[in-house]
Amino acid sequence: MKKTLVMLLVLLAVLMTAPVFAAGTVETAKPAAPIDIDLWYGAAITEAGPPPSDWVGYQIVKDKLNINLKITALPSNEADQDVKISAAAAADNLPDIFMVRRETWLRLAGQGMLATVDDMYAKMPIRTKVQYDADSIGFTTIDGKSYGLASPGSIAKNEGVLIRKDWLDKLGLAVPKTTAEFMNVMKAFTYNDPDGNGKNDTYGYGAFIEINNYEEGLGRRLDPWFGAFGVAGTWNLTKADFGLNVRKSAYYDAMAYIKSMLDEGVMDPNWLSYKKDDFRAAWKQGRFGIMREQNAAFAAQSNYAPFDKNFPKGEWIIVEPPMGPTGKASVGVYTQAYRIYALSDKVTAAEKDAIARLLEWMSSDEGYFLLGWGVEGVNYTLKDGIPVATGVPNAEYAFTGAKGQPVTQLRNMVFYNGQVELISRYPTYKAEVSGRTMSALDVLFEMQKKAWTPNIGGDTLPPPSTDLKRFYEQGVAEFLTGRRVLTKANWDAWVAEFDKLGGKAWEDTAREKAIANGLLR
Amino acid sequence: MKTELTERTRSSKLWRDIKRHKAIYLLLVIPMTYFFLFKYIPIWNGQIAFRNFMPRKGVLGSPWVGLANFTEFFESFYFWELLRNTVMYSVGKLLISVPLSIILAVFIYECRRPHLRRIVQTLTYLPHFLSWVIMYGILLVLLAPGDGLLNDIIKFFGGKRLDFLTNVNAFPWVVLFSDAWKEMGWGAIIFIAALMAIDPTLFEAAMVEGANSWQRVRYITLPSIRPVIIMVVLLRLGTILSGGFNQLYMLYSPSVFSVGDIIDTWVFRGLQEGKFALATAVGMFKGVMGLILIVVSNRLTKRASGSSLY
Repeated sequence: MKKTLVMLLVLLAVLMTAPVFAAGTVETAKPAAPIDIDLWYGAAITEAGPPPSDWVGYQIVKDKLNINLKITALPSNEADQDVKISAAAAADNLPDIFMVRRETWLRLAGQGMLATVDDMYAKMPIRTKVQYDADSIGFTTIDGKSYGLASPGSIAKNEGVLIRKDWLDKLGLAVPKTTAEFMNVMKAFTYNDPDGNGKNDTYGYGAFIEINNYEEGLGRRLDPWFGAFGVAGTWNLTKADFGLNVRKSAYYDAMAYIKSMLDEGVMDPNWLSYKKDDFRAAWKQGRFGIMREQNAAFAAQSNYAPFDKNFPKGEWIIVEPPMGPTGKASVGVYTQAYRIYALSDKVTAAEKDAIARLLEWMSSDEGYFLLGWGVEGVNYTLKDGIPVATGVPNAEYAFTGAKGQPVTQLRNMVFYNGQVELISRYPTYKAEVSGRTMSALDVLFEMQKKAWTPNIGGDTLPPPSTDLKRFYEQGVAEFLTGRRVLTKANWDAWVAEFDKLGGKAWEDTAREKAIANGLLR
Repeated sequence: MKTELTERTRSSKLWRDIKRHKAIYLLLVIPMTYFFLFKYIPIWNGQIAFRNFMPRKGVLGSPWVGLANFTEFFESFYFWELLRNTVMYSVGKLLISVPLSIILAVFIYECRRPHLRRIVQTLTYLPHFLSWVIMYGILLVLLAPGDGLLNDIIKFFGGKRLDFLTNVNAFPWVVLFSDAWKEMGWGAIIFIAALMAIDPTLFEAAMVEGANSWQRVRYITLPSIRPVIIMVVLLRLGTILSGGFNQLYMLYSPSVFSVGDIIDTWVFRGLQEGKFALATAVGMFKGVMGLILIVVSNRLTKRASGSSLY
């Protein structure tokens, strides 16, 4: 009995320990558990949804890179992006890797919340070759350490001054060159019924307020007028005349010119109320005949189609920006746009390696085409090596179609504005109603040939305080709406008040930064 | 000894009550948990209003700065203007929206055609469910200076077009009346509920006595719902320093900052710069002011009319 009991106990012990050993054996044979990576990205197409949950990319990344990828789209509005990221930072809960604007990035780096990425470049040879160079690394380097991965952002100089050529022809007018000629054309567009519908429903110029830290005040849509007076953008980045343009006397002259546009009634009166979509709907409805617009927003097939349908005989042409009294002209300012992806300083070494693997894979042929255009034969086909939306079984799933667009939401993480991308992104097409041959790429090249003001690094200069920013934006708007009377004396008094509130100090701080970073030319 | 016994009796009575009504107490757990998690625990983090909050150092590790965050707010170039605008919109909405809601509720209650009542109710509730983004689109169609419906009417009668959304004189009225339009129907619900609770025999008796509609409203309806009106007004006084962020953020533009910028929009622009301690300080200021207003006005109302919130 005793023997049986001992045998039973031994058997029980063996049975209990066996799974432990067995598990140990299985464990050593099993690959390491996938690493979770949380990525917050900037959506390529803000009006389309995120990739579906069964997107093939997740499985590829899991199988090949051993990564569980979780992606979250950031809000499309930059201000909302900042708030979302700042809120995550305040909760000490930043994602592993996230897109971030430079101002917020700078603050997070200053608070010690970002990981250095210097060691990652060598681990991503393919990606580093196409995405990062000395300039981009310098863009995210503080005290000799790189705190973010800066990829090429939007294409520089991709906007232009456009004018309705069919209206010019109808009224027998030549393409205007100077600000005075532009004024005459704008008056004719406003009062001489250029569309011939017998109604007084057109205007010379259309705009809306679109501001960022290097296009302050009235923003980029009115920059061609400031460019005519040599004061486009927030900053003058020349060695000879560095400073805030708003503090220069020529800024007053530009303001006086724009005020005369309003007084003459040649500007679409809705300009202060328009948001971006309203503005774009307005030119497609033929409300005004001159504007500053972006190449794709103007000429990409889906964007041009409503205008084509409304005005099959309508024609916009790209013209030189207006030339001011001293011969100056500029569409506006351009900078070297980068898109920063930063890593939380809480990422472990293993997670950092996984992120490097992920980014390197994204820039491989497989990742590049998958993220850029989707799956070949489903979302695109290749024509002469260029991905095209034609020839796919279901046009809805083409990378340009409603159901295909979501799978290309991460394309800005792999695109670097190469020829293949540009040709694919902006294909030549015939407009459906008018049959006009259109190409957003040709439009882009044409826009880039016009006069622009270099402002490289203007977006890296310190922003104003909340109160000063409001004072600036409110002041220039009020001079134009008539709440403040625009006279030289009133303007100078306003600038003096601006300085008192911190305008001059802001300029001095920016000067130091611009000199230290070699931004002056 | 007697006190101890009384205490024990009281506690066992409470326990018996809980056991008897356990389903109700169980239901109470859900809101209590919500308030504990999302309202009371965050109070601990309120201390960052007195610190130079640095996320990496955490709440306790960030250095104390005393009242610096409050001072930054009070010394803002726009402090008085922000305060004026905020109070102006809160009080204005109270003065316009609440009476309109009461009038609408009375009309709906008095309406003797069920179909019409339902249609009116649905139409007036509907705007509440639209976001301010959509409302802005509608307002633009109605009020745009170039081709807005209202401006077309003004022009038709020989008037001069007016940019309601960017004119400092017109903008506050757009804010107040668009809010009233959006929220009037929703706000009427509570008053309709109060009206439903009035004893119908009072109306019958009044009718027998020869009271007309207006007299019934004046002498029965309004006095009967007075406690609810007082409650609604008092509760809204608590949020007097919140002028309606969503609405103003959508509607305002630089040309109307002087009459459109409120405390919350100013704080939001600060949040974009990561100023969480400042935002907390302002939030605390608003909370304390709201509390004071509620307590004081509750006491005054109690003394004057006998009705109060608590």
